[in-house]
Amino acid sequence: MFFIAEEKLHILLTRLTDDYQVCVPRKKNGKLHQTRFPDGGGDYTLDEVRSCEPAKIFFFRAREKVADGFGAGPPPPPPKPACITGVKACDLKSLEVQDYVFLTDEYTDPFYKRARDSNLIISADCTQALDTCFCMALGVNPFPEKDFDINLSKMEDGYVVETGSAKGERVVKDNEHLFSPADPSQVKTREETRKRVQSQVRININEYRIPQEGDWKGWKPIKFAYAFWNQDAKNCVECGACNTVCPTCHCFLLFDQGAGKKTSRMRVWDSCLIKDFARVAGGANPRPELWMRLRNRFEKKFDFFPKVLGINACTGCGRCIAACPAKIDIRSVLGRLAANAH
Amino acid sequence: MLTDGNPYAIRKTTVLRVITETPTIKTLRLKPSLPFSFKTGQFIELSVPGVGEAPFTPSSDPAFSDELEVTIMRVGRVTEQIHKVKKNDTVGIRGPFGAGYPVDVFKGQEVVVVGGGCGFAPVRSLMYTFFGMSRDLKKLAFRGGCKTPRDFLFKKELLGWKKRPGLDVRLTVDKAAKTDGWHENVGLVTTILDRLPVNPKNAFAVVCGPPIMMKFATQTLLKEGFREDHVYLSMEKNMSCGIGKCGHCRLGTYYACKDGPVFRFDQLNGLERIWE
Ligand code: SF4
Ligand code: SF4
Ligand code: FES
Repeated sequence: MFFIAEEKLHILLTRLTDDYQVCVPRKKNGKLHQTRFPDGGGDYTLDEVRSCEPAKIFFFRAREKVADGFGAGPPPPPPKPACITGVKACDLKSLEVQDYVFLTDEYTDPFYKRARDSNLIISADCTQALDTCFCMALGVNPFPEKDFDINLSKMEDGYVVETGSAKGERVVKDNEHLFSPADPSQVKTREETRKRVQSQVRININEYRIPQEGDWKGWKPIKFAYAFWNQDAKNCVECGACNTVCPTCHCFLLFDQGAGKKTSRMRVWDSCLIKDFARVAGGANPRPELWMRLRNRFEKKFDFFPKVLGINACTGCGRCIAACPAKIDIRSVLGRLAANAH
Repeated sequence: MLTDGNPYAIRKTTVLRVITETPTIKTLRLKPSLPFSFKTGQFIELSVPGVGEAPFTPSSDPAFSDELEVTIMRVGRVTEQIHKVKKNDTVGIRGPFGAGYPVDVFKGQEVVVVGGGCGFAPVRSLMYTFFGMSRDLKKLAFRGGCKTPRDFLFKKELLGWKKRPGLDVRLTVDKAAKTDGWHENVGLVTTILDRLPVNPKNAFAVVCGPPIMMKFATQTLLKEGFREDHVYLSMEKNMSCGIGKCGHCRLGTYYACKDGPVFRFDQLNGLERIWE
């Protein structure tokens, strides 16, 4: 393990702009948002909590051209790979779900794969928890343990640095002079901070009576019908915000943009809460009612993914709680689900 | 078959012929710009410049590669525009996608194929495949139904099958007027599913048609004694990517685009609202 001082990290990030589009979380109105570096200077916040934007935006863009349509030219050249910083453990976990979707099976997604292969991930420990954070209920600790290139743990004047991949090791090696070996007291501080944040998340879990992921295991979606879902679904306004902010939601729609013979094929994020999501051309709709679509969202995350991938497709990041204008709260839904699962 | 390793990229395709089948159904004969082949029951995504894409299962014989036919009923915005396509126009295709019909499973077996409405399109491709391997099947029967003789897709061809040696064919329409000159059965498709020339205990059935027809045909076949895992159904789902990524076509733990679109009934049993 190494140590890097605050001002040396700034030098490192500046050097990384040669090869990467470096992005850093910055505070706007008290919330962390992904922004470009070096524009905006050094006022970034790598520790604290997750950013409002989920990590998927760096791998699977909200809107991108994926193919030439009928003669509008090939897709634009690949963008500079991204160096994403301050990513938290919950978002690293979400990449397991996205990887399964986009990299396994007969077809891999060439755009996701390119981003996954070329992006550099500099993650960071959480040093606080929002009151919506419940990662530990989903088996995620509030500090990265795997799936990063480099991880940073905040100290008073810098960061303890851990490498998690050959790519991360190379970055440290190429910039050796910026790092020093971490000292045992710093490693101890890291452990203490981690324990402190863990207990904060535990307080959230107790306060909101959030079940543990094993508690709803094996629930049968078919047994949960109108009476269970409609108390929440009746308030849903089908805005799709829960899908947009969710780091594991992966659904998208292809459409052709442009007129006449000059078209390009675009891909945009889609939302399963919207009425027409599963409607077929002939008009039949397997999920015409909102409660069915809300159940579908939970079924996909907490029944489909456990069955096909062995994990719940939720990281406990709490973004959907903060984003929902109808105040639909996944914590209470999971509580009721666990209480009625068996 | 990918264009430039990109599953979202279309392959430019020339329309060789447009055949008007019924007032609402047309068949396009297509020639893709690059070598192309498909397995019966797989589907393609067909796109028209400036309009968009929709999935179709080819209705032609997969043994003839490099060209294919898709038979399209006008039901919405995209199909309405596809119906305006003319000979020599350029369209786009992606695919083929999906698992298609498990033709090998049927070898040495008794098979009943039940088609209805626009479902005759995939079923015709399957029947051509069966005709090419008829010595490998123990028995082949065909049952087809439509609303009226007027919208009976491939009517001439299907009536012609009645003369094929070794093929047992019965056709029906829900309603026929005297002037239609219809000499076959009148009644729902379920009325021609009795007296099947097979042993339902181990015969296989393939059903493809409008959801309501599939529902009742499946119920009747199960009542006749067919096994749940011997009844194959074509599931129409909203599809976008065709490759199991966009999430639109999920059916339980399956994606219709990659695990289907053909499913055994036992794979779907226990799921809700499968006919919608
Ligand atoms: S479902 Fe909500 S809490 Fe779970 S990962 Fe998605 S946004 Fe986060
Ligand atoms: S964020 Fe809330 S209101 Fe919007 S679609 Fe999701 S559940 Fe419905
Ligand atoms: S059509 Fe996209 S997942 Fe099936």
